[in-house]
Amino acid sequence: MKKGILLASALIAGMFAGTSAQAAGRDYISIVGSSTVYPFSTVVAEQFGKTTNFKTPKIESTGTGGGFKLFCSGVGVEYPDISNASRAIKQSEYDSCQANGVKDIVEVKIGYDGIVFANSKKSAPLKLTRKDIFLALAKNVPDPKGGDKLVPNPYKTWNEIDPALPKEKIEVLGPPPTSGTRDAFVELTMEAGAKSFPFIHDMEKKEKNMFKATTQTIREDGAYIEAGENDNLIVQKLEANPHAVGIFGFSFLDQNADMIQGSLIDNESPTFENIASGKYPVSRPLFFYVKKAHADVIPGIKEYLGEFTSDKAWGNEGYLADKGMIPMDKTEREHFAEQAKDLKTLTMKQVK
Amino acid sequence: MESLFQTAESGALATAPKEEILSEVTSNTLHKARETVGDPFVENPRMTCREVNVYYGEKKAINNVNIDIARNEVIAMIGPSGCGKSTFLRCLNRMNDTIEGCRVTGDIRLDGMDIHDKNVDVVPLRARVGMVFQKPNPFPKSIFDNVAYGPKIHGLVQNKSELEEIVEASLKKAGLWEEAKDRLNQPGTGLSGGQQQRLCIARAIAVSPEVILMDEPCSALDPIATAKIEELIAELCEHYSIVIVTHSMQQAARVSQRTAYFHLGDLIEVGKTDRIFTNPRHQLTEDYITGRFG
Amino acid sequence: MDQPATNPTIDKMNRGLKRRYRAERRFRICGATAVFTALCFLFLLFFSIVSSGYKAFQKTSIQINVFFDPAEFTNENLATANFPGLIKASMSAMFPEVTSRSDKKDLYYLISPGASFQLINLVKDNPALIGQTQQIWVSANDDVDMLLKGNIDRTRPESERRINDKQLAWLDTLAGERKIKKTFNTTFFTRGDSREPELAGIWGATCGSFYTLLITLTLSFPIGIAAAVYLEEFAPKNRWTDIIEVNINNLAAVPSIVYGLLGLAVFINFFGMPRSTPLVGGLILTLMTLPVIIIASRASLKSVPPSIREAALGIGASKMQMVAHHVLPLALPGMLTGTIIGMARALGESAPLLMVGMVAFIVDIPQGFTDPATVLPVQIYLWSDSPERAFMEKTSAAIMVLLVFLLLMNAVAIFLRKRFEIKW
Ligand SMILES: Nc1ncnc2c1ncn2[C@@H]1O[C@H](COP(=O)(O)OP(=O)(O)OP(=O)(O)O)[C@@H](O)[C@H]1O
Ligand SMILES: [Mg+2]
Repeated sequence: MKKGILLASALIAGMFAGTSAQAAGRDYISIVGSSTVYPFSTVVAEQFGKTTNFKTPKIESTGTGGGFKLFCSGVGVEYPDISNASRAIKQSEYDSCQANGVKDIVEVKIGYDGIVFANSKKSAPLKLTRKDIFLALAKNVPDPKGGDKLVPNPYKTWNEIDPALPKEKIEVLGPPPTSGTRDAFVELTMEAGAKSFPFIHDMEKKEKNMFKATTQTIREDGAYIEAGENDNLIVQKLEANPHAVGIFGFSFLDQNADMIQGSLIDNESPTFENIASGKYPVSRPLFFYVKKAHADVIPGIKEYLGEFTSDKAWGNEGYLADKGMIPMDKTEREHFAEQAKDLKTLTMKQVK
Repeated sequence: MESLFQTAESGALATAPKEEILSEVTSNTLHKARETVGDPFVENPRMTCREVNVYYGEKKAINNVNIDIARNEVIAMIGPSGCGKSTFLRCLNRMNDTIEGCRVTGDIRLDGMDIHDKNVDVVPLRARVGMVFQKPNPFPKSIFDNVAYGPKIHGLVQNKSELEEIVEASLKKAGLWEEAKDRLNQPGTGLSGGQQQRLCIARAIAVSPEVILMDEPCSALDPIATAKIEELIAELCEHYSIVIVTHSMQQAARVSQRTAYFHLGDLIEVGKTDRIFTNPRHQLTEDYITGRFG
Repeated sequence: MDQPATNPTIDKMNRGLKRRYRAERRFRICGATAVFTALCFLFLLFFSIVSSGYKAFQKTSIQINVFFDPAEFTNENLATANFPGLIKASMSAMFPEVTSRSDKKDLYYLISPGASFQLINLVKDNPALIGQTQQIWVSANDDVDMLLKGNIDRTRPESERRINDKQLAWLDTLAGERKIKKTFNTTFFTRGDSREPELAGIWGATCGSFYTLLITLTLSFPIGIAAAVYLEEFAPKNRWTDIIEVNINNLAAVPSIVYGLLGLAVFINFFGMPRSTPLVGGLILTLMTLPVIIIASRASLKSVPPSIREAALGIGASKMQMVAHHVLPLALPGMLTGTIIGMARALGESAPLLMVGMVAFIVDIPQGFTDPATVLPVQIYLWSDSPERAFMEKTSAAIMVLLVFLLLMNAVAIFLRKRFEIKW
């Protein structure tokens, strides 16, 4: 009994000794942020860990917003060094960084991620426009009978929107509001689709809130099903339900090409080449942000940046492309590799 | 100090006429208690109880009881079920302390020492006033360990051979040695009910108590086992004072020298056993022993 | 009594008897159906997991002839040599007819990128290899593995496969030369996480779970039992202890994510403990399991019969001795069972660890309490969310490992209960 207590207290003491030793320094890079960038940055991290003498960086999948929150809370070994993001840093996030002493931030764009609309191979492929998607998914849509009036979404089947589309129930499996993919897809398809109506287009300047509500509110009558953050699950559900359409990242289409097919959007199919060339309209840039103050303190940060920005990683033939990331073109790559090398910090003006 | 006090008190008791003490005691209590008839007090007592009241929460279970327990005597407590025999018995080694909401008032002394005194530790008290319960309750350990437990925790032995001696002596005194000597390492719970009760008695006497309290020790036993335990009680009273609660008047008559009759928390009558059974002075006692109620 | 046949009570009883038996039969059927349904679901669960996961215990290897070209090993640090180049060279030597750049890329794709790490270790262990040619089995890429396990359908059109027709032909050639084999997947049991499914292993997460649970156990068991003993045996029964009791019962029902938030605020933000470590995870799981252990321990203390307490007190044991010598040994089996069930719950918990950064990509095997680590359920979650098809079977295999651990822990609970149970 006594022995056990002794042992336990020794153990606890040891643990705390370990803590203070750890607090003194950290010998691995700590990365947080977007779950979309996670599969790419982990590949780089692994490669980096195995081919150099540095430890493999630790990468947490916290989501873009959660990542910035951690990243911007301060400078010091207890705070992450790098934050991955599936969108550019926001003004508010930048401000909070500044307020917490995270003054110098290096922005590195790494490539693009396509967002695809896909259905099971058991059905015919869909040919959609962004307007179709807006009409199919928005909570309120322009009155089909005409006039500049919004009415609750009356469409039940695809062919009610466009007679060329199949006579199938509208059933879309997509990410929940907490997901970065959802933000991107709302902005890139719904907003763009809505703007093809002149009166909504005008709204953007005059009634900003009304515009946001119209374009960003997704219908809640069961046509849009929030399928959770796990994209594999959506793929499986599509396989089980051939009439449904799913929304997810390009890498999942790439890996499951035998079961599902991407829908054409504005006449462009979601292929690697189309997304890379920018023809496919629904794609978003991916970034990571580096805390400059850490670059000289935590071993390996510069080397990690070097690995990430090397052509064998993010180049056209690089291993990130194998994993489904869409590379930037050469000039853009050179620009950002340069920035990463020089640790060029983000200025107030560059932040939107 | 203690001995001085004791002589002073017993002296006072001895000199004062019984009736006077009784009336004094009665007038001191708030609740109207029935007067105890017979002779509750003895010369040179082992234990003295004065104005003992026991409450379970608001409910009064023992009402102003005054009684002495003599040295080397067996005193039987009888009375109808629920009259407070067990409750009173448990006062004597402060087992009532362990019951939530139970409150004991009054003055109880062991060899003149106030057992409720702040300076009195219940641990040695319970070693001096041992208890055997109604239901045999051996520890789920070996027979040996059951008996050895008391001497061990009180530090009565220096080494193993001394311990073995005590265990053997206690088991012999409890009349269990012959049956148990070959199975000392087997669990005590594997014995028969009667054997278990004798094991509990052996366990109680292993720490050489001065008083042994027995709460219906034979209620679960067959006549043969009962006879054995009664024999044992007769032998034990050469060394110890024994307080035994029983529902069997024959048993009380067989083993005890004195008998106390309780009724609804009152101590009704105390006296020599043969006198109580042949010539009860109180109506309630007579009713009870003649089987009119209870 | 005189005529028992017409005893009215018996008649009345007989009339009701049939109904009573019918009710009993109905209840038995309901019970049996319930158990049967539960078993069916359990079987379905096991079946689906095992059937999709058992293949992960095998992995595909390809045999190549590697020439450890001394020209490549000019640098002091052997690890910097161009190992991928060595592998590419040996693949090209096997298929000299492959010349075009894109075909070469397709050819090299068959071998896992992890193969070069394998060669690095070989050379590090035995530098004498330099200058020699060796036949070495290296891991095949995950898509090759999937193909050989039948998870990629070769009858599909080429565009729908991740292995194209040329690669199929090369693989068939290799198979013809007996240079492809499936072996037991030791990698899975000895490595940490990886983004290459064929290199990913469960050992890192297992170690993380081990360190985390070690902290949970060493803290929650003594604290939980001490708290239970104090509350049950020593604390006065009053309003305060009632409030404490209600609170403990409530805590046991609090969603686990709340403990994660608490841990984030207290251990990381206030005490400044390092994120993503078994230390913090273990502390959070301690908080989570404590109420479970306390409740189970109190229940088993309560079930110790009062006669034993009386017996001990009756011969003059102090309260502490009574508890330590008699009550605790009797209550211990129940306490151990409660503890292990609490630990099993902690083993399967991932939500609270999300808040403190244990949902992370960690390749290196944790070596202690302050190394970044992840745990088994988190590893399962991370793999299930990975795009590569081959991670699907890894997910199921990891679930199987987790289930085995849970079964083991429950078996230990049963064993301990049997072992320490004291028969009356
Ligand atoms: N723990 C308790 N809490 C409350 N009341 C109690 C408790 N124990 C006993 N009592 C009450 O005190 C009274 C005396 O009880 P006690 O057990 O002393 O009776 P008894 O004479 O030993 O009866 P029996 O012959 O049936 O054993 C009874 O009315 C009983 O209900
Ligand atoms: Mg009783």
